Amino acid sequence: MLAVCMRYAKDRMEAEDILQVGYIKVFQKIKDYRGDGSFEGWIRRVMVNTAIESYRKNLRSLNVVEIDEAYEQPSTGFDFGTLGMQDLMKVIQKLADGYRMVFNMYVIEGYSHKEIGETLGISEGASKSQLSRARAILKEEIIKMEGFGYATYTG
Amino acid sequence: MQPIQDKDFDQLFKNAFEDAEITPSRDLWSSIESEIEPKKKRIIPVYWLSAAAVLLITTVGFLVYQQQEVKPKQFANNVEPKVVKPVNEAQTVQNSEETITVPAEKLGQALPTTLKPAEGVAKITVKENIKTVEKQKIVTSPEMQKQEIVIAQVAQPKEDIKAKIEDAVSKVNQETVLASTSTVVKTDDVIGDDEQAESKGIRNVGDVVNLIVNKVDKRKDKFIQFRTDDDDSSLSSINIGPFKFGKKNKK
Repeated sequence: MLAVCMRYAKDRMEAEDILQVGYIKVFQKIKDYRGDGSFEGWIRRVMVNTAIESYRKNLRSLNVVEIDEAYEQPSTGFDFGTLGMQDLMKVIQKLADGYRMVFNMYVIEGYSHKEIGETLGISEGASKSQLSRARAILKEEIIKMEGFGYATYTG
Repeated sequence: MQPIQDKDFDQLFKNAFEDAEITPSRDLWSSIESEIEPKKKRIIPVYWLSAAAVLLITTVGFLVYQQQEVKPKQFANNVEPKVVKPVNEAQTVQNSEETITVPAEKLGQALPTTLKPAEGVAKITVKENIKTVEKQKIVTSPEMQKQEIVIAQVAQPKEDIKAKIEDAVSKVNQETVLASTSTVVKTDDVIGDDEQAESKGIRNVGDVVNLIVNKVDKRKDKFIQFRTDDDDSSLSSINIGPFKFGKKNKK
């Protein structure tokens, strides 16, 4: 579950905070679990909701990370194909908060743009544009990490 | 060499994170645990603490209030027997010259009063115990009488003052008859009353509770009652709505 939280957080500390709050929620609302779907999936949903809540709570207090800042992070020494979950996590965590939320929610959790817009309080169009922007940033970042080929071309 | 499709790109991430697990720090669980558990444990003690606090406050409050109240009450109790006193003296004086020594010891100055109106007064006397009268009849010598009576009255249990009054009132007629036959009736009720007045004070917690409950609860069956005849009190009855316990107070 920490992996889920990590995707939504910008660092491990924040992720663990979310995880803690999420687990406390799980224990408090365990009676609300209706038994349909897997228990793991339910906990996962609780975690995602906790992460979103945390994001919305911090929305104003967090300073927006400049996108350019992310590019300046040098990353070296990754061979093609060894790009694993840890690396992708790093890339995601480098994203600005808004991009990260949309990307996670759409790509991995499978929310629709409409749902994302409602949850985060943005328009559907904004969700779409943020997603494509996030993809672009991620691709560029991965290219930087990998050298050519992995993100840009199928293969 | 096709540029990667958005769909494939998303799938790449999805696959990577599908079953991804990262082991959290070791002490994370303990902090979660400490957040979950105390909340459950604290619920009960808080209720108990508040209940105890309320009980304590009310008890102390009533104690203070009651201490202000009790003093005049004791006074009132002390006054009663004093009112009765002269009547008794007069009676004894009237009854016979033999018993003069007894009141002389107790209330020397009351002696010289005129003896004439005593007959009328004797009838008014309320505090008289039939038992003592009976004993007096049997014993002939005045000195013996004295002792007998004194003993009898000391042995008399510290009954409730009300009970005694009722007792006495019911026997007034007999008394008056006895008085008119001019048997030697010596009344040492003065002593008895004095003792009662003292014993009526607050001796223990039971008395305090009874006093409070009597003030608050006007029903016949009190909310809670203690028996305080002897020095230590014991719970004699409880009446909380449908739940009742114990015999009624012997009032």
